[in-house]
Amino acid sequence: MRLLQKTNRTYFLISGTVFIIAGVVFYIVISFFFKDQLNEKLFHDMKNITRCIKRNGIIPNYYPFIDIREVPAQSERSFKIIDTLIFDSFERREILFRQISQICIINGKEYFIAGRDTLLEEDDLLEVIAIVTGSVFILLLVSLYFINRKLSLKIWQPFYNTLDELKEFSYDRPGFKLSSDSQLYEFTELNKTLEKLTQKVISDYQSLKRFTEDASHEIQTPLAVIQSKLETLMQYPGLKKEQAELINSAYVYTLRISKLTKTLLLLTKIANDQFPEKRAINFSELLREKIKMFEDHILEKSLTINEEIRPECILETNFFLAESLIINLIGNAVKHNIIGGKINIKLDKNHLEISNSGEPLPVNASKLFDRFYKTDKSSDSPGLGLAIVSEICRLNKWEINYIYKDDLHKVAVNF
Amino acid sequence: MKILIIEDEKELVGVIKKFLEPEGFLCETACSYFEAEDSLSSYIYDIIILDLTLPGGNGLDLIKLIKKTNKKAGLLIVSAKNSLDDKIRGLDMGADDYITKPFHLAELNSRIKSLARRRHFDGANELIFNEIKINTDSNEVLVNGNILDLTKKEYEILLYFIVNRNKVITRESIAEHVWGDNISYADNFDFIYSHIRNIRRKIEFNNGRNYIHNMYGLGYKFSER
Repeated sequence: MRLLQKTNRTYFLISGTVFIIAGVVFYIVISFFFKDQLNEKLFHDMKNITRCIKRNGIIPNYYPFIDIREVPAQSERSFKIIDTLIFDSFERREILFRQISQICIINGKEYFIAGRDTLLEEDDLLEVIAIVTGSVFILLLVSLYFINRKLSLKIWQPFYNTLDELKEFSYDRPGFKLSSDSQLYEFTELNKTLEKLTQKVISDYQSLKRFTEDASHEIQTPLAVIQSKLETLMQYPGLKKEQAELINSAYVYTLRISKLTKTLLLLTKIANDQFPEKRAINFSELLREKIKMFEDHILEKSLTINEEIRPECILETNFFLAESLIINLIGNAVKHNIIGGKINIKLDKNHLEISNSGEPLPVNASKLFDRFYKTDKSSDSPGLGLAIVSEICRLNKWEINYIYKDDLHKVAVNF
Repeated sequence: MKILIIEDEKELVGVIKKFLEPEGFLCETACSYFEAEDSLSSYIYDIIILDLTLPGGNGLDLIKLIKKTNKKAGLLIVSAKNSLDDKIRGLDMGADDYITKPFHLAELNSRIKSLARRRHFDGANELIFNEIKINTDSNEVLVNGNILDLTKKEYEILLYFIVNRNKVITRESIAEHVWGDNISYADNFDFIYSHIRNIRRKIEFNNGRNYIHNMYGLGYKFSER
């Protein structure tokens, strides 16, 4: 819900309730006041009538407002106030009257004297009150809406500006600044805090990146020493089988770390956008060349390869990254394949699709592009291949998808 | 043949020296930028191995000096940074080859020998091991005078073996040498074995002896025994 919507809705609810209560109170007060006034008037009328009768004798009837008639003797002589319905010949319906009556003795005869006046009809009163309060209510709402809109457009504008700028924020782009020009304390404070926060995020990210890069570099030299020492150790004549096995396992693990740090470094570099040089690359040729590179592995697993590569698919990108992407995708398709399985490779101008036969993934596919994600925990590979692929795609603003269908793992890249 | 190893990691210098000296190389070392400057200004080398990350200065600056004082030397750059930038700049400035840390000693040896062959044309394009003769210009292998029909990969493996004769060579090193860095996709190294079996078969077909010995799961050794 937008801010404007929310405030409008709140205004509507509150003023609605207030107006309903006000209407009810209004109604009660008015009808009470009116009845009171009417009673007063009727008393007054009665006084006038009796005075007039005392002075002038019987006065003519003025039905229904003044009603004087002779009645049989009665004991009760006090005032009586009642509401009564009387047929009105003009309006041709019964109308509610308030009547004050008294029994008076004039010239020894008892007379019923009544003064009447129309009561305000409840329906009419309600209608009037509803119309008045309703129109005031609508007027208020309309003006509130416009005031609000204007406020929101004017006062909140810097806020929306900040929001738009924040949407553009990326932790790997240093020099992020908010162009705040608000005079309002709250917004300047907000922007200051946000600026501090984003600077912190950027600097943390930078130092993390630097750390990964430095750590990888620092690890390479000791690894080089270990690796070459082990290779030297292998040269000693008369090594026993057991000793050779020990050396070999230390060696294999050393190579694994070394490969891992190299890959991590590559990932960091891709994330750092350290491959800026772009040129037109013939993807069709590159793809064929890399497939050939894997021919021994393909042969080893007796895989069948189906190529549907449209020639002369040219893409503007970094050569090294393009190479990395293809090698990782084909490499995966080979590695996670079954003996005697197949690989389908399709390429056209804006689409690369590599699919391979293999067992379905044991867990959800959304994690497939995460770093260090492995379907097989005991696997030798660190699970960085697809992370590299997805980084490269992110950098080039390509879209990457994975699905498992018809016993095939399918990875598709849309350029 | 005289080699200058410019590398600040003394432990690494030690093993490189130890690996290369039996190959008939005379190795000198420089462990800092200044030592390297000193050696390069005073002596002439055939091959220089240069680590780009040196204490006291940038290795790329040393290339300029090498081009002045040791113009004819073959220059192999070593870097812990697997950075394309360094590689391109180094090669642009006149380096002959580039290798990243960590490397296989056999690979380093093979690169140095290849540099050496390119430096000394007189007969150096021929590698001879008993009845096996390799011409590195024409990429021909002769066994007892008969031309061996090898695939490109078989040729590369055999050349790698002969260059690193009498050394234990790991399968990983062979794989990386022939197939490149991306070999980590292999579940196993059986595919190397099938190439080696073919080489053995082809050599034996021409009455050559089998010099490729298995070294317990470590790798192979190309030697008389």
